[in-house]
Amino acid sequence: MKRVACLLTLVALLVVPAAWAQTVVRVQGYGGSDPAIVQRLIDEVIGNDLAAQGISIQYEPIETDYNAVLTNALSAGTAADVFYIPGETAPGIIATGKVLPLNGLVDTSAFIDSLMAVYTIDGNVYGIPKDFNTLAVFYNKDIFDAAGVDYPSADDDWSAFSDKLTAVSMMDPDIHGICLPADFARMGAFAFANGWTPFNADGSADLQDPAFVQAFDFYTGLVTSGAAVQPADVGAGWPGDCLAREQAAVAIEGAWILGFLRDNAPNLQYGSTLLPTSPATGLSGNFIYTVAWGINADSKVQDAATKVLEALTSPTTQQFILEQGLAIPSRKALVDNPYFQQDTPEAQGNLTVFEGATHGNVLGFQFGSVGTDYMTPSNNAMNVVMTGQADSATALAQAQQELTALLQRSQR
Amino acid sequence: MNVRRREVIAAYLFLAPFLVTLAIFFVYATARAVYFSFTDYDLFNAPTWIGLRNYANLFRDDLFLTALRNSLVFAAVVTSVQTFGALVMASVLNQRVRGLNFFRAAFYMPSITSSVVITLIFLWMYQRRGLFNYLLTQLLANLPLIGMFVLVLAAAQVVQVLLERARGLSVRWSDPALLVVSLVVATTGTTALVLLGLVAPRTVAPVDFVWLQTRQEVPGAFPGFLRAPVPLIAIMLQNIFTTVPTFMLMFLAALQGVPSSYYEAASLDGATPVQQFFYITIPAVQPVTFLVVTLGLIGTLQMFDQVAIFGNAVPLRSVITLAYFIYNRMFPGAQLPEVGFASAAAMFLALLTLVIVLLQRLFIRSEGNL
Amino acid sequence: MSAATPLAAARRARETLRWEARRRWARAGIVYVLMLLFSLVFLGPLLFATLSSLKTDPLEYPPRIAVPQLSPANWATAARLGRAGARAPLWGGFAPGADVAFQLTYFAPDGTEPAPPSVTVPKRRPGGGLGAVQAIEYAADHASVSPAEEVERRTGSWTVRGGSVAGTFVTYAVRVRYQGEGPKLERLPLDAVAPSRAQVFVRSTLPPTRLERLGLVASYNDVAPGALGYVFTNYRRVFAEARSVTTGRSLFLSWTANSFLIALAKVLTTLLLASMAGYALARLRFPGRALIFLLILFAQMIPGQVIFISNYLVLRDGIFGLASLWGQTTLLNSLAGVVLSGMVGAGAVFIMKQFFESIPREVEEAAMIDGTNQWQRFSRVVLPMARPALGALTILTFQGAWNDFFWPLVVLTTPEDIKTLPIGLLTFRNAYGTTGDWGLILAGAVMSAVPVIVLFVVFQRYFLEGVSYGGGKG
Repeated sequence: MKRVACLLTLVALLVVPAAWAQTVVRVQGYGGSDPAIVQRLIDEVIGNDLAAQGISIQYEPIETDYNAVLTNALSAGTAADVFYIPGETAPGIIATGKVLPLNGLVDTSAFIDSLMAVYTIDGNVYGIPKDFNTLAVFYNKDIFDAAGVDYPSADDDWSAFSDKLTAVSMMDPDIHGICLPADFARMGAFAFANGWTPFNADGSADLQDPAFVQAFDFYTGLVTSGAAVQPADVGAGWPGDCLAREQAAVAIEGAWILGFLRDNAPNLQYGSTLLPTSPATGLSGNFIYTVAWGINADSKVQDAATKVLEALTSPTTQQFILEQGLAIPSRKALVDNPYFQQDTPEAQGNLTVFEGATHGNVLGFQFGSVGTDYMTPSNNAMNVVMTGQADSATALAQAQQELTALLQRSQR
Repeated sequence: MNVRRREVIAAYLFLAPFLVTLAIFFVYATARAVYFSFTDYDLFNAPTWIGLRNYANLFRDDLFLTALRNSLVFAAVVTSVQTFGALVMASVLNQRVRGLNFFRAAFYMPSITSSVVITLIFLWMYQRRGLFNYLLTQLLANLPLIGMFVLVLAAAQVVQVLLERARGLSVRWSDPALLVVSLVVATTGTTALVLLGLVAPRTVAPVDFVWLQTRQEVPGAFPGFLRAPVPLIAIMLQNIFTTVPTFMLMFLAALQGVPSSYYEAASLDGATPVQQFFYITIPAVQPVTFLVVTLGLIGTLQMFDQVAIFGNAVPLRSVITLAYFIYNRMFPGAQLPEVGFASAAAMFLALLTLVIVLLQRLFIRSEGNL
Repeated sequence: MSAATPLAAARRARETLRWEARRRWARAGIVYVLMLLFSLVFLGPLLFATLSSLKTDPLEYPPRIAVPQLSPANWATAARLGRAGARAPLWGGFAPGADVAFQLTYFAPDGTEPAPPSVTVPKRRPGGGLGAVQAIEYAADHASVSPAEEVERRTGSWTVRGGSVAGTFVTYAVRVRYQGEGPKLERLPLDAVAPSRAQVFVRSTLPPTRLERLGLVASYNDVAPGALGYVFTNYRRVFAEARSVTTGRSLFLSWTANSFLIALAKVLTTLLLASMAGYALARLRFPGRALIFLLILFAQMIPGQVIFISNYLVLRDGIFGLASLWGQTTLLNSLAGVVLSGMVGAGAVFIMKQFFESIPREVEEAAMIDGTNQWQRFSRVVLPMARPALGALTILTFQGAWNDFFWPLVVLTTPEDIKTLPIGLLTFRNAYGTTGDWGLILAGAVMSAVPVIVLFVVFQRYFLEGVSYGGGKG
């Protein structure tokens, strides 16, 4: 009897610590400025609660091409338990079959509907959007004051906007009105303002639609008329760089420019406003960029991973992120948060970006299964026209050909 | 017989680890690549046989054809320039001078640092406000001085050679002793003219050549499949910079084995240095040339690192090579992997390399006679 | 006439000899000059990149060689400021008891009244970058800045907007003190806002990091840097910011250690396996010899992109399940995977085979009489003779493994500290490439190049022998 008791105690002593052992949930996300946000979240907001439940988080940011690494990892079975699903590549990642459908596991009603739509395929929800971004007009107040030009405002239409930029660029040969990249991810917003959509009902794409052509001509016309300049032409990597170096007065970017300006131009006096409206429709257009947290279908710690996912998208977390000015939260209830009433350029910038989600023709940054390759023909056309090598009709005809071939190949 | 059998067993035992590695990671891998090229495998679903469809689609794919053009142009230009450049440099430096070891270290430096380091440095230099454009601007601005220097040098050399010939000595136009004197005269002459204000650097607008973010292809007059995109030319310059010193040292080692009596006999017969170069130097180093060209072709056809490191600083179509195309189709990121398609391209690249190496073997025999 | 000829001939002969000697000297001189020129061309970019890695903005135009980071006057100033800030003249900082004196000079054109600038210590929260993850203390919370006092005034002229204007140079001094107790901070940022646009910034104790708002604001990242901290700002940032999120260790150290481990393992396996295989191919007769030789030739030509997908899948499955022997299901994302999939290259076997074929058979015959078996013959007699080839092979393999880019790129993806140095540098470039922080990228590149350069300088002879062996001499 005594021996059995001893044995039982021994067994108990061995088992109990094992029960105290923590479940490790691996989490993967972007690199760049993102690890700062996620790490602070883990350290200051959710880490302790999860530890109390026996869950510890191992966070692995990916600095190189996130999509390639994720596909690599999903096929190898080495992907994390909880990972980012970028909006633009969501269809491709979900098509691998390695993402866990979250219906019934997580409450999805509290999140902004247009964001949830990006991650819902055939009624199954595959990711919970964690935050989002839209485009806004960021301008340098000092330059506008020096040129005596009114600040850009949400009521401007395209021609008023263009006039302001031209007036600014005439002040000083080294300072341009706006820095514009040859990127569909910016120009598309103007096309959306005109009512154009990337895909027609039958799945084809029309780059020679008059609505698209008008937006294209306006955008490239800014560069050819001299009011705008491409970042590479002034030795900058992207428009945020232009703005920080005070080589341009305006940049059209998302809230990601705020962190960059904090580092590289901490004293810049900038303002923000919504994109100008199209003279044809009276509306502005915008992209919604969003990233969601998803769970690996092959994860061995699904329950723990679900808890981590919920923690990462909980109201507390989103409130923290908003108050720290780190990202724009995706929960509907945070619309009227006092953070947005602050008078700092950053808070106002975040507010403008937030408002952009419901202002005008807003479409998700997503291109079906063809992914970001969709943008390449338009980008080439823009580049060719902006550098004066061809006129827009020829360039768009070429782009239409390339895009049709691309879509055919992806449906091969 | 027993001895013989023991020798065979011993041989296989010695070879076993190497053979196992070779079998798994080369033979099996190549066989599987061939198999995949006939399927539509995407890493997540089981492969299904589709026959030659991948190969057919390959030649209809715009990106593949661009990659093929880029690879061929890159291989041709870089291999020829680096071989010729290395040979010329080696023959110029082929003198028995002391202190060669120190210079050898300097010449070998670009090749031993990893390609990533050199590419990052060149990426920085190719920026529009970077070093290359600055040097070009300085060159254009100082063109009058350079022109004057060359003029005075030529004049001094001609005058001296004529004087010496009048005295009865037979000297070549490129006589080194006179050349030194001409150089000194040219330097002092140009300096004097600058100080007097007769020659001055001119002011030019800063050269703003776009090396990276451009889809421009040169020369514009050539048909599409013979043009080279400007960013690819940037990578070519970098590649040549890295490999010429190594090959030059190889050539130098071979040239040091050529007896100088050949050159002396040739110059006594009245051969010019250029003729000596073509009739003595080039045949003498034929084995090394063969090796250099082979290594060069294999290396340039597989160029991958620089494209990956340049990344989004250049448009993809302007620098994509076959090797990068294969990697890009295997891990595209935005879509499911196209393993079958990429394997077909890989097979094509392997065959292309084989064919090119065999072809060049026909032109340059590896055994050379003088 | 005939009496003059021998004398004339002798004179001519002497002259020709002198002439030949002069030509030899001249040719040698020209060769030296050319070698120097070529060395400059091939070393130039590396040297200039190293110089530029010290600059605050390596993309400044026109690029200068006289960088403020290299002027001894600035070293002395930085050391003095570092000592004032944290009693640390080398690395600087801001600690309790600090009393940093800083001076700024402005130019007020005639007609404007000079006024002191408003100087503050801003709260600089990092916006991005690799490791802006550690919780940081702000210098602004502990610093107090005295109002700017005028120290000196003199008249002169200064170029404003392209033209020379007369006016007054006014120098102001501020003191930054640490309030009370608290932690030691690494940096002390400063912002100086001019009172109006008419008053132009001229110079300060240390040059500003950037001039913002069209010249109105002079912004300093660190006004108590210490001598080394001032010269090597970018290097310090690389070490401080490139930190692993999971373990907090410096990423550069991890990457270097990984590269070194892989290179060392590869060298050991290659030396052993290549010499064994090369010996068998060179000396022993057995069926299939020609086939294996053909395979080796092919293996050297086939590009890595052909075989990588199959090898990737093999590693993913743990080499047919072998990895489960030590408890792992996959060999991806592990250094062992990289080593096991490249234990010996066909090229190495080729080199050793060539070398062994050049050793005369008589030496081996002698050993055979003593009744040794194959292994003893190989290890005791032949291998010691192969030292030069082994030395060259060591260096070639080490260099190849150290600089290997493609295969580690495929195998090692996450987490960051499993990567090797070339892949890690790519990560670095992606993290800072878009922000255009070339100082950091160049500093990272230089730091990565140093180990191999040191190795090369020490073992130069073996490197160059390796080139000749790879070149198939003989």
